[in-house]
Amino acid sequence: MPELEYNEEEVLALASQGDRDAFGQLYERYVERIFNYVYYRTGNLHDAEDLTARVFQRAMNHIKNYTDRGVPFSAWLYRIAHNLVANWHRDRSRKQEIPLDDLPILPAKGDHPEKNLVRSQEQDALLKMIRKLPPERQNLLILKFVENMSNAEIGAIMKRSEGAVKSLYHRTLLALRDQLEDQNLNLEGE
Amino acid sequence: MAKRKMDLTREENLDVLEAHLAGTLKPLTPPSDIVQRLRGRIQMPTRREITLRLTDWRRMFFVLGGVLSGMLLLVTLARAFYYLAGRKG
Repeated sequence: MPELEYNEEEVLALASQGDRDAFGQLYERYVERIFNYVYYRTGNLHDAEDLTARVFQRAMNHIKNYTDRGVPFSAWLYRIAHNLVANWHRDRSRKQEIPLDDLPILPAKGDHPEKNLVRSQEQDALLKMIRKLPPERQNLLILKFVENMSNAEIGAIMKRSEGAVKSLYHRTLLALRDQLEDQNLNLEGE
Repeated sequence: MAKRKMDLTREENLDVLEAHLAGTLKPLTPPSDIVQRLRGRIQMPTRREITLRLTDWRRMFFVLGGVLSGMLLLVTLARAFYYLAGRKG
């Protein structure tokens, strides 16, 4: 869809009146981003697919209740995703299932399809550490690096001020660095 | 002086860590079959719609009424058959 034709306000107004085509436009615009978020938080494709579907189903059912009070639609959508992922983690911890496998490798955006899909040991180690962080720190890193969001945008999703996000980010980096040092892992400069 | 140098190195480590995070947490392209399946799934009736259909009391009344009437008819026919068969015997 060409960027110029897309007017989110209009599309949202139509979608909230039950227009499925309008909701389809929102879906096309956000599905990859939500999938990425859920995928990094859950660590497997099957659950990422299932939860992404549930995010959009819930959004479709509640879009009439969405009112733009300074919170962008994307932030609203990420909050739904965040809540569903949190429930998913809670259910899994109750069932005490086998720990998740490592994230399967998917091609990164812009990569050549024939590019060898190999993650370095450093990246694997880092991913494992990230997945052991508290959920809100994982959220922060995913939104910052995967979604390329600013601290203000992240704050809108996490219901925190820009300063609080900045501070949390710094503390997260320090915690990761300390963990790397504890495990004697040395990241080489790129 | 030594402490300051160590702190500087630790700050540099943060820059290196950020660079590695950027290289590790990259936006990914979901497989196209998943995107297609997802598109199909959101067109399906949702759980809420199904629940709404079930809470449609008029439809539920007719369905329940139909089932009960059918059962009553079957019982009546069975009793009539039993009565007629009993008289002949």
